[in-house]
Amino acid sequence: MAGSSAVLSDDSALSRIDRGIYRIEKVFGVIAGTTVLILMLLAVVSVGGRNLFNAPLPGYVDWIQVLMPLIAFLGISYAQRDGGHIRMDILIGRLQGRALWTAEFVTTLVTLGLILLLVWGSWAHFGRSFDWNARYFSRDSTIDIALPLWPAKLLVPVSFGIMALRLVLQLWGYAVAIASGSTTPVAVPLVKSAAEQAAEEAEHVSSLDR
Amino acid sequence: LEWNVSVWGKRRAFTEHIEKLAELVSEKTGGDFTMNVSYEGLSKNTENLDGIQIGAFEMAQICAGYHEDKNPTLTVLELPFLGVRNLEEEVAVSDALYAHPAVKKDLERWNAMLLMSSPMPQYNLVGTGEPRDTLEEFSGMRVRATGGMGEAFKAVGAVPTSVPSNEAYNAMESHVVDTVAFAQHAHLSFRTIDQGTWWTENLNPGTVNCPVVVNIDAYNSLTPEQKEALDSSVPEAIQYYIDNYQSEVLTQWDKILTEKNVTKVQYSDEEIAKFEAATQGVADEWIKARSAEGIPAQELYDLVKAKLKELHGM
Amino acid sequence: MSSVDIGLWVTGGLFVLVVLGMRVAFAAGMAGVVGLIWIFWDKKQYAWDQFGWALGVAVKTAGQVPHSKIASQELSLIPVFILIGYMAYYAGLTTALFDAAKKWLGWLPGGMAISTVFATAGFSAVSGASVATSAVFARIAIPEMLQVGYDKRFAAGVVAAAGTLASLIPPSAILVIYAIIVEQDVGKLLLAGFIPGMFSAVVYAGLIVGLALTIPSFGPAVGGFTWGERMRAILPALPIVLVVLIIISFIYNPFGDPLGTPTEGGALGAALIFVLALAKGMKWSELKDALLETAKLATMIFTIIWGVLIYVRFLGFANLPRAFSDWINGMEHSPMLTLVLILLAYAVLGCFMDAIGMLLLTLPVVYPAVMELNGGELVSAADSAFGMSGPMCAIWFGILVVKMAEFCLITPPIGLNCFVVAGVRPELSVQDVFRGVTPFFIADALTIAGLVAFPGIVLWLPSLA
Ligand code: NA
Ligand code: NA
Repeated sequence: MAGSSAVLSDDSALSRIDRGIYRIEKVFGVIAGTTVLILMLLAVVSVGGRNLFNAPLPGYVDWIQVLMPLIAFLGISYAQRDGGHIRMDILIGRLQGRALWTAEFVTTLVTLGLILLLVWGSWAHFGRSFDWNARYFSRDSTIDIALPLWPAKLLVPVSFGIMALRLVLQLWGYAVAIASGSTTPVAVPLVKSAAEQAAEEAEHVSSLDR
Repeated sequence: LEWNVSVWGKRRAFTEHIEKLAELVSEKTGGDFTMNVSYEGLSKNTENLDGIQIGAFEMAQICAGYHEDKNPTLTVLELPFLGVRNLEEEVAVSDALYAHPAVKKDLERWNAMLLMSSPMPQYNLVGTGEPRDTLEEFSGMRVRATGGMGEAFKAVGAVPTSVPSNEAYNAMESHVVDTVAFAQHAHLSFRTIDQGTWWTENLNPGTVNCPVVVNIDAYNSLTPEQKEALDSSVPEAIQYYIDNYQSEVLTQWDKILTEKNVTKVQYSDEEIAKFEAATQGVADEWIKARSAEGIPAQELYDLVKAKLKELHGM
Repeated sequence: MSSVDIGLWVTGGLFVLVVLGMRVAFAAGMAGVVGLIWIFWDKKQYAWDQFGWALGVAVKTAGQVPHSKIASQELSLIPVFILIGYMAYYAGLTTALFDAAKKWLGWLPGGMAISTVFATAGFSAVSGASVATSAVFARIAIPEMLQVGYDKRFAAGVVAAAGTLASLIPPSAILVIYAIIVEQDVGKLLLAGFIPGMFSAVVYAGLIVGLALTIPSFGPAVGGFTWGERMRAILPALPIVLVVLIIISFIYNPFGDPLGTPTEGGALGAALIFVLALAKGMKWSELKDALLETAKLATMIFTIIWGVLIYVRFLGFANLPRAFSDWINGMEHSPMLTLVLILLAYAVLGCFMDAIGMLLLTLPVVYPAVMELNGGELVSAADSAFGMSGPMCAIWFGILVVKMAEFCLITPPIGLNCFVVAGVRPELSVQDVFRGVTPFFIADALTIAGLVAFPGIVLWLPSLA
């Protein structure tokens, strides 16, 4: 079903932009991963503080609420680049050439439509929690220690903005593929059979092996 | 015409006035104006004001303390030791506050207007372990209390510890918290009473304010008959709520305390006076911080105090 | 048009998008937004000058969902559970487990296969995801089985099937997701998975013994280990036991009160394994890889969650769950037959869909219907159809659907675990793995039948907590 796919590259402008954005996306991915590590340490501090010093971490839950969006949204475009979001490819896996790229173009276009709408919607969500005239610019805060919520809410339209950029790039890639009829287009995740995906998963595990 | 009403949790004493209101309005308009009360389907509880502003639904219940920055004026009613003695007083003092122009303006930012309160009795602690019957014993106590009440307990050396209300039971079981401050219906529905061995019968440190709000545009577009049906049903719905709370919740509460052999902790007037004195700074701090934002905080606080004095004088 | 009709049309549209190969998260999100626009515009009788209003309200309503649903403490368990699995690998715990299992259980008929099952069960206690577990053990266990002369298809089948244990035995990402969708106690659900997971493992082992005794060419027992060797083999695997004890004692402590919340338990376990991995000399590049993989998997899961929850928000406005529940409960069958039919529907759906996507898409509608079938969320055991209270029914059904979803990981045509195993081992084709895993269908069918017939297997532990 899911799994990541290979993305080919060459020296075209499209591919160079793809790799450029990919570098940024990867950094975001590492930040998201590091946040998981921080989450883990936070829990250790919370448990330790409570049981050893009777000093629970004030606002432990509030901090988790503020950190979670970093994990959930920063990596969205990184996953999209590699074709990592889950889908059902039982039908699309049978298509080839222009038919395949056209199908991909259409679903990617619909996805772009959704993401643009959500940039609007999540920006409005952020807007309702932000106020230039308030303390810490905050019109919405966490329950316990009143951490302002707007930075975490702002992260959503920002991440979706980068995602939109990535989708535009993929649309470009598919358009080029439709025009050329190529079987090996650059800058788009290639559909692979489940077996090929598994081979890649296997490769990953092998690289873990020591 | 059908209004969508966003509330959360399950149907319980806390939402009975809304159910009653829907029933009355539909009755009075011969089914021309109905309300679809949705539990958790339309919004998350902390985002009901957002939904009202967007216009996604026409009516909602909110709790001021869940998002004090969204409704700073309402949180005056969550300050500790205001001295509210019963549900009727809670309604009267809420109504007085809701009528203040600064409060109306505060809610107008959300395109919301206050329709009625959801009066709650004073929050009291359910605790595990040995009863803590003096103020000194609050030192180091891990208490689940939000907003102004959390501040109040902090003032006497307790450690406010945040857990979501639906995790309060587990948090008590695992000693993440020693005590939980809730109104009786919440102690019952979140089952904290199943964990506790003692209950503070007369600590009465304060409560949470949870009004029902409506979208202003939706309200204004009602026909005169519909408006009349809605407005005239509010007092009846509130009265129903209070009667139900008293007869259902408080009776059941007493029964459960006896059944489970829960110790009722009584604090002496002296202890309570000490607690009250220790928390005076919380109100002062609230007035200072909110005044700095251009809210007539002192005026609101005085209004509440004056109204209570009037009620107690009668 | 009635809101339920709108709900059905949009749901139909969603399935078309999914079949066309749109990413499930975005297909669901799009269906939700379109559905909301439709609902709000319908409210204005489709007046053209009101379309802008309906669009704005729908988009802003949907725009709340990603942040507001993700910023939750319960969901924070998922990335932590994923991280633990990766760290355990770097800490060398997988090989240690297999080695210990081999030395203790190898002498049984089909001993190496049984060792694989129990080593996988052990690893499941630190791993939250099935596919990753199968991938890891395909590398460790299959070569050893082949070396002593096991049939390669069967060796592969064992690993593919045993990997599914990871989602029942806590920690389990999919159980957390179930708990969140249906708003039940995460800790109790995790606890409930433990015995069914071990029960599954025992059924697998029983099947292996049976096969080994009836098929002469099956594969030899591996014996001859001294007690000293056995004892020494335990030592490197001990950290797993410690982590299991930590996680369990934060959910349920048989000697007293639990020590904290499941979130804290999971995080503490992860921290312990993290330290162990560092002590084993994990390099920065390896840590970075692990973090990136964790982030990618977590993002994928979270994206599906918020995407589907936008659709669920629309369902709330359309009132579809209630309509479906009325339909299911209006059927003439007995509740038990209806439940079995629902489980069979999951088996079919699971042949074509990913487990997490399937549960997220279906539960918001199916779960209320099942609860109603039992007599409502607040029903007491005495008045219920299945002989258990509302909350207990929620737990029981959760374990059943998760086991069902896991069963689908080893069924053709797209049983993911089988593909992964075939991918890891060059000498195996996908057909080989599917052939080898076939006996385990029977084991899983027996397990599911057992869990349906004897709910106590699921409910005993959570009823203690
Ligand atoms: Na597991
Ligand atoms: Na399958």
